[in-house]
Amino acid sequence: MAYKPQYYPGATSVAANRRKHMSGDVEKLREISDDDLTMILGHRPAGSDYRSTHPPLAEMGEPECSIRQTVEPTPGAKAGDRVRYVQFVDSMYNGPSVPYFRSYGAAIKFRGVDPGTLSGRQVVEARERDMEEVAKFQIETEMFDPALSSLRGATVHGHSLRLQEDGVMFDMLDRARLEDDGIVKMHKDQVGRPIDKKVQLGKPMSAKEAAKRTTIYRVDNVAYRSDKEVIEWVHRVFDQRTKYGFKPE
Amino acid sequence: MAADKKMFAKHLEIKFTKEHGANKMEGGKITDMVGKYYRLGVEQNPRKLEMKKAGQELAKKRGLVGYNPMMHCGGIPLGQRALTPSFISGTDMMVEVDDLHYVNNAAMQQMWDDIRRTCIVGIDLAHETLEKRLGIEVTPETINFYLETLNHALPGGAVVQEHMVETHPALVDDCYCKIFTGDDELADEIDKQFLIDINKEFPAEQAEQLKAAIGKTTWQAAHIPTVVSRVTDGAQTTRWMAMQVGMSFISAYSMCAGEAAVADLSYAAKHAGVISMGEMLPARRARGPNEPGGVSFGHLADIVQTSRVNPEDPAHVALEVVGAGCMLYDQIWLGSYMSGGVGFTQYATAAYTNNILDDNLYYDVDYINDKYNGAAKKGTDNKVKATLQVVKDIATESTLYGLENYEKYPTALEDHFGGSQRATVLSAAAGAATAIATGNGNAGLSGWYLCMYLHKEGHGRLGFFGFDLQDQCGATNVLSYQSDEGLPVELRGPNYPNYAMNVGHQGGYAAIASAAHAGRGDAYAVNPLIKVCFADSLLPFDFTAPRKEFGRGALREFMPAGERSLIIPAK
Repeated sequence: MAYKPQYYPGATSVAANRRKHMSGDVEKLREISDDDLTMILGHRPAGSDYRSTHPPLAEMGEPECSIRQTVEPTPGAKAGDRVRYVQFVDSMYNGPSVPYFRSYGAAIKFRGVDPGTLSGRQVVEARERDMEEVAKFQIETEMFDPALSSLRGATVHGHSLRLQEDGVMFDMLDRARLEDDGIVKMHKDQVGRPIDKKVQLGKPMSAKEAAKRTTIYRVDNVAYRSDKEVIEWVHRVFDQRTKYGFKPE
Repeated sequence: MAADKKMFAKHLEIKFTKEHGANKMEGGKITDMVGKYYRLGVEQNPRKLEMKKAGQELAKKRGLVGYNPMMHCGGIPLGQRALTPSFISGTDMMVEVDDLHYVNNAAMQQMWDDIRRTCIVGIDLAHETLEKRLGIEVTPETINFYLETLNHALPGGAVVQEHMVETHPALVDDCYCKIFTGDDELADEIDKQFLIDINKEFPAEQAEQLKAAIGKTTWQAAHIPTVVSRVTDGAQTTRWMAMQVGMSFISAYSMCAGEAAVADLSYAAKHAGVISMGEMLPARRARGPNEPGGVSFGHLADIVQTSRVNPEDPAHVALEVVGAGCMLYDQIWLGSYMSGGVGFTQYATAAYTNNILDDNLYYDVDYINDKYNGAAKKGTDNKVKATLQVVKDIATESTLYGLENYEKYPTALEDHFGGSQRATVLSAAAGAATAIATGNGNAGLSGWYLCMYLHKEGHGRLGFFGFDLQDQCGATNVLSYQSDEGLPVELRGPNYPNYAMNVGHQGGYAAIASAAHAGRGDAYAVNPLIKVCFADSLLPFDFTAPRKEFGRGALREFMPAGERSLIIPAK
């Protein structure tokens, strides 16, 4: 019988959404053009070539190596791209994703990624074009909401703050704004540098939709203590780690 | 605990729904999920304005720019959200958070000064040398005379040589030595000015424990001058003490300055009979004794004195140790010695401001007392057996309660705006509660780590990168069969293998060490000598109430030692 990953325990919508984020089986909700993505990432001018740190692998005359033969390089590695980053911030107020599940998702679905997981932000470093694939996938799917998640390379403060009066997660650098047409637009890049044009991120999810799609437990939505299987599973992890340290066998 | 009884409610209401300076934060509720962001910058806050003005004056005076809030984020200053003050937990002292950085807080500096400049030196070895080797009679009278001599010499007074340079007494007025003993008869004979009287300073039950542990031995609690300790380092403390001890013995007992027995006295003072507050660190973190990285959690638990003034409230004891520990280990040790920078203050203050941790821990106390028949009350017969099931029950309830507070009170979440802050607070509550209930520090540690796992899964995030290392492998080390990894929490310290780099933990671990013993009603956690040494109101820093002292420091009401105004031009 073929192995079917279970990904995550739990009987609630939050647990189910976590399984979706880990498996990559998420709904596509919007599109972002390559140039718009390049602009808000801020690593190179839109439309310009990728900068490289080494020649394409095909030109480098790599040594005989079984690992190299076994592992197909990612497109970015093959081309010699430099390593760049995308960093997401997710609001605690039913933001669609949370840092650990962005990391799990990146590590499971994509190759050549280096996810970093913090409380307010989650960073993925990868060869630039590979990173862009990861970023695009998340921005275009239910892993992202223009109001409750955000791209922030630096000065990431905001995930745990009260929402602005317009329902958008506070950003000290004011990189994205909900405009009168109901669309959230970025007018600065990830690190807060103004960009040449406003990039549309789309309409925010309704509060009801965000509550349905979120991966964070909240007592006013899906209470953590209500998902007994998840807590039981954490207890099992804790039991086993404790006992293994005492008597490894 | 009913919502209207949340211990943090009053403070958060004042902090978040009242105007401070010109931050326009009037109105709203602490449960509101939406806030107003006026982006007023530093102009809204009196302390920031004071700092801005000082920066401008400095630039003008020296012709070189300095502090300028507009350098933040390329011209977007701090204060894009409201700058709000905080309350020191357990008090009604409202302070500016800038004033909780140790550079801006004289009380915090003095707490560390008072630890670093302290050593305990046994006097019995010296007496044996005098009596057995030299045939000199030692009596209470000679001891009193020796102590009078030492209290002249220890600050830097000359005792046996002519034409000597001395330190000015007004600059070293915080330097002295007292003694203590478990021998009531000897204690009765000691001049009261020199004695730390165990019977007077401790509740009777604790005094009996301490005297039984100390026995007939006698110890000197020595505090070298703050200014000396600051100019040199913690390792200087025992050297300074040993030199002045040697000179004082020579003088008080009319010894020959060059006789070999003096070397024995020095050896006893420097090595054989000395206890430092912190152990020396290995070369990769090279620090001598009495630097913060070597102060074990058990030692810090004993340095803090809340357990003798409020023994019936183990949670309060633990909370004061949290405050002291977060300040010492996070703000000074990790924040400066190990990393540099100023940001660690934000992590640390979360654990001792605005009563959020206090609320969580006292909720746990109620839960434990209800479910485990008063196990959170002081005592030894009422403790619940430390099993994994008990750890899971208490730590899980504590963590879920704390997480739900952040979810129900957006202002609490905003106050602890980083996951590392929340992780510290939640785990300190879970760990200390488990320790109080079981009287077992490592059960408390176990609760700490379970809390980290639960927190991570609940919110899908924990602290910064480093939390994964320390906290994900933490449970494996609580009862590890490997001797260093499996140490009792009392003997662990900042240099324990996995604890060396992670802010927001060590104050909590110290609290767990203290909670286990406070829960049992023990007089001390690991070292009775240290507990007695700091039971001394002559110290500039009041170790019975570290958090209140930090508040006094922030309000600029604390008078530190080691000041140099006597020898510098008046401003």
